Amino acid sequence: MAHARISASLPPDIDTTKAPIAFGKRALPKLNEELHSPDLLTQQRALMALCDLVHDPENVYQAIEIGFLDSLKTLLLHRDSTVRQKTTEILSIMAMHNVGRQGLIQNGVISALSKLLDDPVDICRKNTHQIFEMMAKLPEGAADIICARLIPVLVFKLKTESDEIQELILSTLSSCLRVEASEALAAGAVTVLKKALTHSSAAIRSKAAWVLLDIGTHPEGKIVVCEEVVPVLVSLLEDTDPEVQASATGALMFAAVKPQGRFSALGAGAIPPLLKLVAEETSRARLSAIKTLTMLAELPEGRKTLLDHTATFEQCLNDPCKAVKRAAEIAISVIKWKP
Amino acid sequence: PHALPVRPKYRVPPDAAVPEEEPVRYANLMYDRRVVRGNTYALQVVPVVCFFIPLEIQRQREARKRALARKRAKEQMQPRTPEPVEGREHVHVQTELYLEEISDRIIEVDTECQTDAFLDRPSTPLFIPAKTGKDVATQIEEGELFDFDVEVKPILEVLIGKTVEQALLEVMEEEELAQLRAHQRAYAELRNAELAEVQRLEEQDRRYREEKERRKRQHMEMLQKQKETTEKIAARAFAQRYLADLIPSVFNNLRESGFFYDPIERDIETEFLPWLMTEVEETLEKKVLGRTMLDSLIRTVVEKRLDAFSCTPLSDETEALPEEPRPADAVPQSDSERDVTDQPVVTEKEETDQPVSEEQPSHHITFQLEESD
Repeated sequence: MAHARISASLPPDIDTTKAPIAFGKRALPKLNEELHSPDLLTQQRALMALCDLVHDPENVYQAIEIGFLDSLKTLLLHRDSTVRQKTTEILSIMAMHNVGRQGLIQNGVISALSKLLDDPVDICRKNTHQIFEMMAKLPEGAADIICARLIPVLVFKLKTESDEIQELILSTLSSCLRVEASEALAAGAVTVLKKALTHSSAAIRSKAAWVLLDIGTHPEGKIVVCEEVVPVLVSLLEDTDPEVQASATGALMFAAVKPQGRFSALGAGAIPPLLKLVAEETSRARLSAIKTLTMLAELPEGRKTLLDHTATFEQCLNDPCKAVKRAAEIAISVIKWKP
Repeated sequence: PHALPVRPKYRVPPDAAVPEEEPVRYANLMYDRRVVRGNTYALQVVPVVCFFIPLEIQRQREARKRALARKRAKEQMQPRTPEPVEGREHVHVQTELYLEEISDRIIEVDTECQTDAFLDRPSTPLFIPAKTGKDVATQIEEGELFDFDVEVKPILEVLIGKTVEQALLEVMEEEELAQLRAHQRAYAELRNAELAEVQRLEEQDRRYREEKERRKRQHMEMLQKQKETTEKIAARAFAQRYLADLIPSVFNNLRESGFFYDPIERDIETEFLPWLMTEVEETLEKKVLGRTMLDSLIRTVVEKRLDAFSCTPLSDETEALPEEPRPADAVPQSDSERDVTDQPVVTEKEETDQPVSEEQPSHHITFQLEESD
């Protein structure tokens, strides 16, 4: 049969690692057929080409229409590590687009990905976690992840994986736990997170505090957080990294909703660092700090202490952000309230 | 499926040994008598044969045999060409003008032919057409066709432009992602703050509600207690008033029923008077006894005297009779005197009613006793 190649030596500027891409609309269907071929080299080349094409959202849409996801799902369990790595990379790039995410949810790719969590190759796992992280940002994706019973596994993996992957897992957990926290609490997430709060990397600390914040949005989570973590969070308020401060303030804010959380926060001496955070004009944690102080002001001792510091709040009234202004007003009214 | 061969119009005669070989003829389906025509719904010419009734089969076989026999008999009766006379033979003869051989086989003849063998021949010589026209040569000198530097500019621009554009696109994509993240972060913070506010207000509301409930309950309890206390007070006052009368009335009742008594009076009543009565009875009995004895004495005396005086003359009877009542009168008189002396206890009342008979001493005595009471 006639081949397109007329001479044995290839042209100088062609990339041999990628499959040649057909013109226009035929590109993706041809790549789909190549993915099904039994030859390993063809599959790998097709995957490389697909990886480049998928950066364009239109191609993502077309790929999902054609039904690429089924072929990619079968390739996820391929014995060759390059194939798996490239497949996960493609899926992670697809997951960055909303169309891709929807397609992934509809085709049930998450359950197939859960088998890759124990993959020996690091990059595969990293890509897998990246996919989970992006999927968890969607509410349906988060629900899917919870349904696939992945949360206990993820919590367990937190202890064992490397730093980068830990960050990804923490982001995934934070989005998922916003929806439902009971499974994670049952798997003992709070202890793991408490250890992560003292990690050397600032990113991990801030993300761990963020996860605690999300746990704290649920009532049963609040109880657990109040019992164990409040002193650690208060100590994190004086951390050097502003991200960490912001997350810790947020977590404290939710913990302080419950009366026993307030008492423990007050007991741990949370008011001075919070006031400092409020006083800084550019702090990201300003809003959360104001809210936390509002909650602490509902306690009589808190009110007494804060009555002396109303000047700080009045300063906040001039903030350009509307939410901060409103929060400052509420704070002032709560401080000045008489039973 | 195959086309059915034609059915011979006439049946093979029964004594023909082997049917002749004939080329197969095919008939038109439309004119085949075996094809059922018309409505097939109600057609039930052949009844369903039930193979499990041997009786039926036997009957059918017999019927068939009989039919065959009948046919044979009929054929035997048919007139035929008589048998050839001895020494002669019947032969089929054609009577047309020209005889023709009758056979069903088509006469076939085979013939063949062939070309002559190829002879060797030399190969065709290479055909080079004669050269026509004039030879002309040309050459491109340096700088005649185009100026490289000028021409390469747009190509270079396009190349570099595309590369830079691609790079810019990628960088923009990353920047966009970063901004999206930041935006998400800010939104998440706002959302968290709002959520915290909501929960705080919920908590506050819950506290207030609980406090209200507690206060209400306390108030209710207080009211309840107050009510109970007033009831108790009212009950107490009423009971007091009711019971105030109780003691005097009780005492009255008791006094009326005789529970309070003067012990001396009681004593006198219970003990003294019965004793007195018994003593009086005894005394009276003694009196009665004495009187009875006296009566008996007097009776004896009077009887004796009667005896004594009855023995005297009857003239003395009339004297004795008034004497008897007189002594009888004198005797009770002396009896009564004696009674008086016998009983010093009986005090004042002398028997003013002397004619009182002896049969009424007890009445007398009781009358006296009652007067002494």
